[in-house]
Amino acid sequence: MPEARLCDDVLKVAFPAIRQNAPVCAKSSHFVVPKDLLPAITHYLHTQPNFRGRLTLLWACDHRPVRDTYGLYYLFTLEGSHHWVMLSTELIGNDRLFPSITPHIHAAHWYEREIRDMFGLIPQGHPDLRRLVRHEHWPKGMHPLRKDFPWDRVLGRQQGEHHFRHIEGEGVFIVPVGPIHAGIIESGHFRFSVAGEPIMQLELRHFWKHRGVEKLFEQQTLIDALPLAERVSGDTTVGHGLAYCQAVETLLHLEVPRRATYLRTLFLELERLSNHLGDIGAMCNDTAYALAHAHCGRMKERIMQLNDRLTGSRFLRGAIRVGGVTRDIDNGRLTEIVEELNRIQLDFSEVGAIIFANASLTDRLETTGILHERTAWDHAVMGVVGRASGMDCDLRRDRPFAAYDALPVNVALYRYGDVRARLRVRGDEIHESIRLIRELRGKIPDGPIANEPSRSPDPGDWTLSAVEGWRGEILYMVMAGEGGRIHRCKVRDPSFVNWPAIQWAVLGNIIPDFPLINKSFNLSYAGNDL
Amino acid sequence: MFRIIKKSLKIGVVTGQYQKGEPAAVPVVPEVKKKAGLFKRSFAIREVDTGSCNACEMEMNALMNPVYDAEQFGIHIAASPRHADALIVTGPVTVNMERALKDAHKQTPDPKLVIALGDCAIHCGMFKGCYAVTGPVERHIPVDVRIPGCPPRPADILEALSELRNGRP
Repeated sequence: MPEARLCDDVLKVAFPAIRQNAPVCAKSSHFVVPKDLLPAITHYLHTQPNFRGRLTLLWACDHRPVRDTYGLYYLFTLEGSHHWVMLSTELIGNDRLFPSITPHIHAAHWYEREIRDMFGLIPQGHPDLRRLVRHEHWPKGMHPLRKDFPWDRVLGRQQGEHHFRHIEGEGVFIVPVGPIHAGIIESGHFRFSVAGEPIMQLELRHFWKHRGVEKLFEQQTLIDALPLAERVSGDTTVGHGLAYCQAVETLLHLEVPRRATYLRTLFLELERLSNHLGDIGAMCNDTAYALAHAHCGRMKERIMQLNDRLTGSRFLRGAIRVGGVTRDIDNGRLTEIVEELNRIQLDFSEVGAIIFANASLTDRLETTGILHERTAWDHAVMGVVGRASGMDCDLRRDRPFAAYDALPVNVALYRYGDVRARLRVRGDEIHESIRLIRELRGKIPDGPIANEPSRSPDPGDWTLSAVEGWRGEILYMVMAGEGGRIHRCKVRDPSFVNWPAIQWAVLGNIIPDFPLINKSFNLSYAGNDL
Repeated sequence: MFRIIKKSLKIGVVTGQYQKGEPAAVPVVPEVKKKAGLFKRSFAIREVDTGSCNACEMEMNALMNPVYDAEQFGIHIAASPRHADALIVTGPVTVNMERALKDAHKQTPDPKLVIALGDCAIHCGMFKGCYAVTGPVERHIPVDVRIPGCPPRPADILEALSELRNGRP
């Protein structure tokens, strides 16, 4: 790609001290950067008009016992070309300090705090060095992703206190909510500062459900860890499973049969359908519009039962495997699926007409919880939430995986960034998913559904894999270790990126609208906390 | 208005359109049944998530949709543990959620039932032994009923609740 090569050259001219490495995956370039140069080069990538890089992933890796270094990796997606630029640097020996890029790239805020908690590396100049994953009762010096930290270590408890940000002034009071919520929701803590009705500040406190997923990956072999990936976030079983499988297949140099890629696409779209239908219902329910909730709940249940009939799991668990899929869906079955989906589409169109004709619902949704395009850009927000705020990104179109190279996707895009826009994006995507499955049925080739892995991975090899799940971009970085084991697996659910943005979307809204705004984001706590 | 009524008439009743669940493998202990009998036809449940992958939550939510409609059997979700007759706990108990779970249990008025939902809550599933997980639910609070599955189907959850309440779902 000449354009990408041009970008590389521009970077090398601007920063002669950097060294180009071989790219780790397609459509990407990789540079090794001296650590002192990191703030300057990331700032350049982020702000230069011909780059406009969005921080997509930031992770660290403990390279011991092979070499005594910590690696830091910064992945940027360039706007326009969707090319990946990766910067990496190493902290050698006892060096535990690295320069923070958060002061000018807001999206790095949680990543750097996470690295500090999990590895004990300190981002110098970070504006907020409170603990993130490790709650106050964790003893000092516990950094689980260091290689010298045993995975089954029993953590003690110490006394400690978490300091929330607070606003002072006459009539300001604080409303703490959680970690256990009133509905059937996951655990997380929200702290509102209000004066009168409008929210002046919201502070999130998550990681209540931190289960040590990334450490558990390191105890498993590449092939066996798939069930764990499927349980990172239960509602995104296929998204996470697929992203993990793609990474492993790259490491094993394993080709996936064409039919299997189509079936994977089918599963991913079915997952998107069931979740979007449920979300639209749940958003209506949070405005006390029970009729729409009942209709959407009913349609979602039809998809879940369809999943169950197809694969024996309502969440499509175990449908995907490394090298392909576990069971074939013959063409007669596919026709049945399409017929069922056609009925659901008609049904949904009728319900949609009722929902959008309801003036009191529109009144609740419009101008509620606006996430401005600028805020969305600063936080590198993506997925459904991003597309409702004018962020034109969808991996199915930008970096096609599975069978999306043969199935072009029309990306739903809205600019208002309010709850209604997020509802509209979901509505449009439901129609688009059904259209894709219809098109898929016509194009699916015959053939085998899985290939067996024949080689073992080379220790130290690593790769990145990206999948557009129903929430947004799911990224996996998998590095192979000795004997087919995993040396490091970085999991990034879109929730991790989108959660901080909600703190800005609620400002000026009233607390009773918070559940509605939260539902319109519908982020995973489990995928965020890991 | 006409459109809404037309749609409702067209759809008709969907409740019960699901495959019946499997009866529980392990029968409920008589003492637990006796305790559950106190709640008669109104059974308020508080759901506590201590680290599940959220699939169990999705199935609990599905229980309340028109197809399963657990509400018709007098099962409802209470907004606070203080209003609850039973706690349904999902997920292995994480280090960070341990205290919150114990607090919620303490705040639930006696007599109360504790139901461990899903494999993770029963034996930690694949998170067993990890540094961030302190053990299954029963290590922290006494558990009366176990509903296995990863995640259990809504029909199985209904079946288990029915068994608990002597055939009254």
